[in-house]
Amino acid sequence: MDKELLQERRGFLKQFGATLGAAGLGAAGVGTAHAAAKPKGNIPDRPVKVGHTTFLTGPAELLGGPGQRGHVLAQEEINAQGGLLGKRKIETIFADEAAGTDGNVKELRRMKLSENIELFTGVISSGNTPALGPVAEELRVLTLFNDGCTDFLFDKAVPNPKYTFRVTNIQSADGVTAAIGAATHWPKVRRIASLQPDYSYGRNVFEHFVLALGKLLPGIEVVSESWPKLGTTDFTSHITKILSTKPDLLIAGVWGGDYVAFYKQALRYGLFDKMKVATTLAFGGYPHAIGKDHPEGVLAGVHANYHFLYPSGDRWPVNKSFVERYHKRWKEYPSFESDGAYTALYLYKQAVEKANQLVGGWPDDEAIIAMLEGTGIDAPAGYLYLRADNHQGYKDAVTGLSKNLPGYDFPVWDSASIVSIPIRSITAPPNWPKPGQGHNESTAAADWIKKTWPAAGKA
Amino acid sequence: MKLAVPILIVLALVPVVASTYQTQLLTYGLTLAIAALGFNLLLGYTGLLSFGHSAYFGAGAYAVALMMRYLGVSSMELFLLGGIVCSAALAALFGVVCVRHTRIFFAILTLALSQVLWTLAYKFFWITGGTDGLRVPFSKLTLLGGLIGFPGADAFARFISFYYYYVLVVFCVCTALMWLIVHSPFGKTLQAIRDNETRARFLGVRIWRYRWLAFLVSGIFTGLAGTLWVPLNGLTTPDVLYWPQSGKIVFFAVLGGFRNFSGPIVGAVLFNYLEVYAIALTEYWQITLGAILIILVTFLPAGIVGTAQRLSAKFK
Repeated sequence: MDKELLQERRGFLKQFGATLGAAGLGAAGVGTAHAAAKPKGNIPDRPVKVGHTTFLTGPAELLGGPGQRGHVLAQEEINAQGGLLGKRKIETIFADEAAGTDGNVKELRRMKLSENIELFTGVISSGNTPALGPVAEELRVLTLFNDGCTDFLFDKAVPNPKYTFRVTNIQSADGVTAAIGAATHWPKVRRIASLQPDYSYGRNVFEHFVLALGKLLPGIEVVSESWPKLGTTDFTSHITKILSTKPDLLIAGVWGGDYVAFYKQALRYGLFDKMKVATTLAFGGYPHAIGKDHPEGVLAGVHANYHFLYPSGDRWPVNKSFVERYHKRWKEYPSFESDGAYTALYLYKQAVEKANQLVGGWPDDEAIIAMLEGTGIDAPAGYLYLRADNHQGYKDAVTGLSKNLPGYDFPVWDSASIVSIPIRSITAPPNWPKPGQGHNESTAAADWIKKTWPAAGKA
Repeated sequence: MKLAVPILIVLALVPVVASTYQTQLLTYGLTLAIAALGFNLLLGYTGLLSFGHSAYFGAGAYAVALMMRYLGVSSMELFLLGGIVCSAALAALFGVVCVRHTRIFFAILTLALSQVLWTLAYKFFWITGGTDGLRVPFSKLTLLGGLIGFPGADAFARFISFYYYYVLVVFCVCTALMWLIVHSPFGKTLQAIRDNETRARFLGVRIWRYRWLAFLVSGIFTGLAGTLWVPLNGLTTPDVLYWPQSGKIVFFAVLGGFRNFSGPIVGAVLFNYLEVYAIALTEYWQITLGAILIILVTFLPAGIVGTAQRLSAKFK
């Protein structure tokens, strides 16, 4: 990238407080495994049962597998220190999310009513959290969703959460992050094609991407929409449709095995040579799921969350040490799901310890929840906080362009291209009216963007 | 029949002795059993294999969800009425198209029509919620004309103990009704058509009309099952209209034995346990269920109830 262009992009990003390239984050991490104060009161030594539902089979295993491994790593580390509060070891019951929404509902009930779990974690699909959130509230089981990040969960399905939290970023941030990334790197694109999985996630990405890009670049036009069903393996008809409309930019929200199938088929049609491609989840599965045949220069989204090479080097030791431990344990690199699942257990640990210092003994759920609301933690991805008003986790969003670097068997980000955006710049602030409270947008974020973002001037 | 009374007593005692979890699991089983009863009127008694019964199950479920969302209805009795009307209308319509054919043509038609409904529920997301589905929280539900409601926290256990009996009563009524139907002259005629269509026509039976009526009754029973199922599950998604749901209903009948009156009932209840525990115990739950199906078809074509009857007859 030439110097002048780089200057111009940095100016553009300033309005979000965002950064381009390896700059940005400068904090010194304190680590998640800091020495805790001595537990107060009597702690029982029976294990803490945790339920974890994630994709163990099917194309979504690309996301579920790393999530499970992140969870197990955190569990093993905590248990090696004697367990929670030094006494209670963690035991996890895993269940396959591919059993479908109804199967997941039944399984959560079994975990709580029959197995007496004290914490429920996991869940990848945004089709499933709006179903499981209300069930968790009914059953009063403390829940830290890993993903399933639809805005709909806390906007509508569980508008006043008590037991349910979500660790990963809110979904609308995906589309907005991809839009800022695309506008930064390719300010000249106007004709937009879209390829989204046909369910809430895809619609959310499409809506927020187009909305945000429309504010950033003047005169954009959506020339084609494709909506393959989740789990599609043959994208030929969608690819030829996209090519026929001659777009400048494709925004793709397909993920997991679907994305792998798509990019391999798109290569045969030379799709990547004919347009710019922005994605929200290309680097969302385990890193080695994507081959070196993957084209360079694709905006490779990680679900607005985490890629193991960022924050890089020694600038955020929490990440460096996490990647080392994860790689040692699993002989592969972590994904954003690994970071989410790992962090979820440590958030629980931190809340239990804080609550124990206040009330003594093993704290009840009320005390743990009070300690989770508004809390923050130094996660591998950076600083993460759980907002008290909607129980949603927030951390800075990040995306970058794909590049093949020596030393890795799979494409990674070009470090000069990484765009990092403070999360407060792209999400609705606390207590912004939810859908149905004076507006009928699909999300609070959409309403906030429409009402508060200035539109781009004519170029 | 001799066993009916002791079984009923055991069923009535379940919420007293079993945990909330086991009670709700059996409630699921009983609702599915009603669907299986309806399905088997076509397969076991009329000789028509439907691969599209998800349509009526889903129609019952979506009727409840749409009534709750758009009409603000909360009474379970009104839901039952709505579910019956919707599934009856649908079965009447689809029946006209399907019963003109038999065998593979019938099966394919039922499958195709049910997938049209699935597509509608899937694509019209601004009405149906798409894959997010529609929620039917039990906290908004009232039973017995508004006498019993379940507000407040921790109402789940209370809901399950009441709802179990509610479903049990409907299940008993459905079972008795189906028993009467298959033992009535109408039921006997269906069996005659199943065994020899040409002869039945020689006797002056208007085959088309009988098949259509059987299709209608079958659809209504399955729709009723969907209606009862939805408050238990808490939401309905297009999954209940998708073809694997039809496959499951066929599985119920094959598992229990479709040449028996009670076979599908046993099959549905058992399948529910199988599925839940297969998912809970192993990530290879799909292989487990598949293997069971292969074993059944290969070694126990009469199903569990059929085989049990054969064995007990042998030792008498």
